[in-house]
Amino acid sequence: MRIAVAGKGGAGKTTISATLARTLARSGKQVLAIDGDPNPNLGMALGVDPELLRDPPRVPRNAADEVSDDDGRKQRVLKPEFKDFREQWTVQAPDGVMLVHMTRVDHAGTG
Amino acid sequence: MRGVASALLGVENEVNLLDMEASIEHLARGTPGGVDCMLVVVEPYYRAMETAGRIVPLAKELGIKRILGIANKVRDGEDARAIRDYCRSKGLELAVEIPFDDAVRAADRRGHALIDDAPDSATARAVGDLARQLS
Repeated sequence: MRIAVAGKGGAGKTTISATLARTLARSGKQVLAIDGDPNPNLGMALGVDPELLRDPPRVPRNAADEVSDDDGRKQRVLKPEFKDFREQWTVQAPDGVMLVHMTRVDHAGTG
Repeated sequence: MRGVASALLGVENEVNLLDMEASIEHLARGTPGGVDCMLVVVEPYYRAMETAGRIVPLAKELGIKRILGIANKVRDGEDARAIRDYCRSKGLELAVEIPFDDAVRAADRRGHALIDDAPDSATARAVGDLARQLS
C-alpha cells in the first residue's frame, strides 16, 4: 500500500503520518516512512532517538533511475536493491518503522 | 530528490508512506503519481481548505483512485460543518474527523511521538480508525 499525506503546512500532516506509520507497523506491517518536507521532523514525530537524527544518512541523488514503461510513461525506480538501500540510508524508528529523509538527498551528487 | 521519493514509493514493501512537503508544486510534477491513496489533511480554516481544494483535482489528474480527507483540529460543531461542507463541494470523502487535541502539542513540546506519549488521545484513536479503513 502506497500512501501520500498532503495538506497545508501546519495542518497536522506530520503528526498524522507518524501516528499512522506506527499504528500500521504495530498491526504487523513493514512500514517505510518517507519525510518529504524540506524542514524534516517526521523522525521526531515517530519517536526516533534524537542521536540518530543528528546526522541522518545522505541519500545519493542518483539512487533513482528513470525508465519508461510500455506505454511510454516515465517512471522512477530505485537503482540499488531495496534491502541494500534500507541498510545504508534508512534510520530505525520504533515498532520497526524505517525512516528516510528526502531533504538529505545529496544535491552535489556524484553522477 | 523527487525522483528518489517517487522511486521509494514504488519499492516492494507492505506500506510506503510519504509525508509530503506543504507546497503542492511537486504534486503537479507527479511525485506521488503511483500512490494507492492520498490523504488530504484539512483544518477548519479557509486557507487550509482552499489548499485542500487545489490538491484534490491535481491528485485526480494524477490518476489517484482513493483520495480521502482528514479533518483535523476540529474544535466544535461549526468547525466540523465548515469542513464537511467544503469537502462535499469538492467531492472529497472525509475519512475521519479529529478534534483539536492538546495531547499533540504536549507530545511535540516534549519531542515525543504522540503514540508513545498519549496512545489514548483522540488523535491517536482517530488515526487507529483511519488505519483500519485503509487496511
